[in-house]
Amino acid sequence: MIVRRVSIVLLALLPVLLAAVAVAAVLFARQGGFAPYRVPRDSTRTVATDGATLARGEYLVRLGDCAACHTTRGGVAFAGGVPFRTSYGTIFSTNITSDPTHGIGDWSADEFAHAMRHGVSRLGPLFPVFPYEQFATLTDTDIDAIYAWLRTVAPSDSAPPANRLDFPASSRDAMIGWRMLYYRPSIATTAAASTDRGQYLVDGAGHCASCHSARGDRYSLPPEGYLAGGSLPVNGWYAPPLDSESLARFSVAELADYLRAGTSPHGTAYGPMAQVIYGSLSALEASDATAIADYLKRVSPRAPKKSASDGIATASNDSVNGAEVYKRTCADCHGDDGEGKAGRYPPLANSIAATAPDPINAVRLVLYGAMAPTTPGNPRPYSMPPFVQQLTSAEIAAVVNYIRRDATPPSRLTPDEIESMHGIVLE
Amino acid sequence: MMLPGRALAFVLAFATVAAFADEGTLDDRLAACAACHGKHGEGVEGAEYYPHLAGKPSGYLFEQLRGFRDGRRNNAEMIWLVQFANDAWLQEIAEHYAAETPRTRAADTGAQALTEERRAIAERLVEHGDPARGVPACIECHGKALTGLEPGIPALLGLPADYVVAQFGHWRDGVRKGAPPDCMHDVANAIAVEDIRAVATWLSQQSNAESARPAPAGSFVPPKACGSLPHEEKAP
Repeated sequence: MIVRRVSIVLLALLPVLLAAVAVAAVLFARQGGFAPYRVPRDSTRTVATDGATLARGEYLVRLGDCAACHTTRGGVAFAGGVPFRTSYGTIFSTNITSDPTHGIGDWSADEFAHAMRHGVSRLGPLFPVFPYEQFATLTDTDIDAIYAWLRTVAPSDSAPPANRLDFPASSRDAMIGWRMLYYRPSIATTAAASTDRGQYLVDGAGHCASCHSARGDRYSLPPEGYLAGGSLPVNGWYAPPLDSESLARFSVAELADYLRAGTSPHGTAYGPMAQVIYGSLSALEASDATAIADYLKRVSPRAPKKSASDGIATASNDSVNGAEVYKRTCADCHGDDGEGKAGRYPPLANSIAATAPDPINAVRLVLYGAMAPTTPGNPRPYSMPPFVQQLTSAEIAAVVNYIRRDATPPSRLTPDEIESMHGIVLE
Repeated sequence: MMLPGRALAFVLAFATVAAFADEGTLDDRLAACAACHGKHGEGVEGAEYYPHLAGKPSGYLFEQLRGFRDGRRNNAEMIWLVQFANDAWLQEIAEHYAAETPRTRAADTGAQALTEERRAIAERLVEHGDPARGVPACIECHGKALTGLEPGIPALLGLPADYVVAQFGHWRDGVRKGAPPDCMHDVANAIAVEDIRAVATWLSQQSNAESARPAPAGSFVPPKACGSLPHEEKAP
């Protein structure tokens, strides 16, 4: 009896099970099928190591800012160990020096290229903090050059701490599920390398989308969020959209100059972008900077995500007069109308901090100040003082609300929210 | 061959860079530092924990700035501000504050009074050290008048006791590191915790009223190897 009943239940569920298997098969095929999991460890293909190739590799490693994620503060270059805090735990970057045991010195050229293109290495599927979705668009020549140069990096036997991840992310195989849901291999845009150098650098080595795209569920990067701006998962900074509209205030030349110098008549780089410029973009060749700027100013704006508070324009109820705080503490440098002082203090009017949907950049800068990165174009930067000790949370809320009065949605920060944003996140 | 449009872009880019190269003073540029350390690095009334910078040896200041940037010192506010600064800029900042008049800070009469016994312990460590434990006298490295030694050893005057105690704690825990050999790590570990408090309090009670500068480089040779600083090679 029991056996029969079970059989009936199974029979009834069979269509459901078959449907589930079919969906899984389709999703599995769409993330690339089995091919990504065949890691070519035994390939014997060698790559060129002439001076020009190594120079190209070094330049690409710089543009990719590999060191930013693979080198700890003051640590051995490329030895890994930088923590990435996510909602599912902490991931530590790997050692990519030429050490055969702890680094990638034992990897074949094809295994390296495979990891860059498919996000799977001998460790298993990699976590998407490693931007393989972007690196997949690099040309074979460029990936080989990166490989060639990384092999010249002095070996380090430093082993990064083990990842501390919650279940199910604690299993690398869980990444197969993630890939089925969210990862769609891009077709290597080798053509882009020759036809649109700017797009090639933005989408590939530069992996700008890692920060500047609007992420979907579970850190995915849906196409509709491409360069649409968003809050960074790890450290909470807001990265603005990169498109013709959000960059309208820059000319191509100004934007190209900003990328290399870290400062411009329209704004200065702070936080994560200061790192990108200090560690990477300041080394851009002028022609590449121009190509990137030219491309970004041609990107079509994506429709902004509707914010829950859109259209609910509550009147400001600040107990402190933000305009008065501004006049007293900000206007000396940033001007009575937020116009800034050319070459010294960035304008606030139309700045990212003033207009972004997320107030975090403005609050961080007011709390802790900032110093622009030193670059060949800006070797002696100006700085902004921290106000965390000078102003009360009520004053900071009021003055940020005043600066961000035209943001969408208009800024309605409370002193409690300012308190909750305290704390410097350095990594 | 360069396209005319691109050439124009280069010229414009260069012109923009040139326009930024204005001659703002260091004080203008370093508004961020002034908030906690004073406009001329003299310290800020009511924020005594933040050390003054004025008149400290430039090599010392430079090493501290690099230490924050490179992970040898750990203070979030400082790391935040200097993490993307290159050596040339940090050197210029260090020299700027080193050239300022040393801060005049009167003896801290509000500091916790020392018992005679504690005072004796502090004075013994300052003047004679603890040879049995390999601790040199403070004055052997920091100068007879405790005003430091160019280019790398700071004065011990004008510092709040809490600041000095905190630094010893950081040296012991390895949170604050010097370039190897890390002599202050060794010193801090060889002194009893209660004696550290005594020395720190004693130092805070010394007046720096004469704005004395650090002793000139080479005017004496410290006995202990410390960072990259010159020191006396002692025969084993």
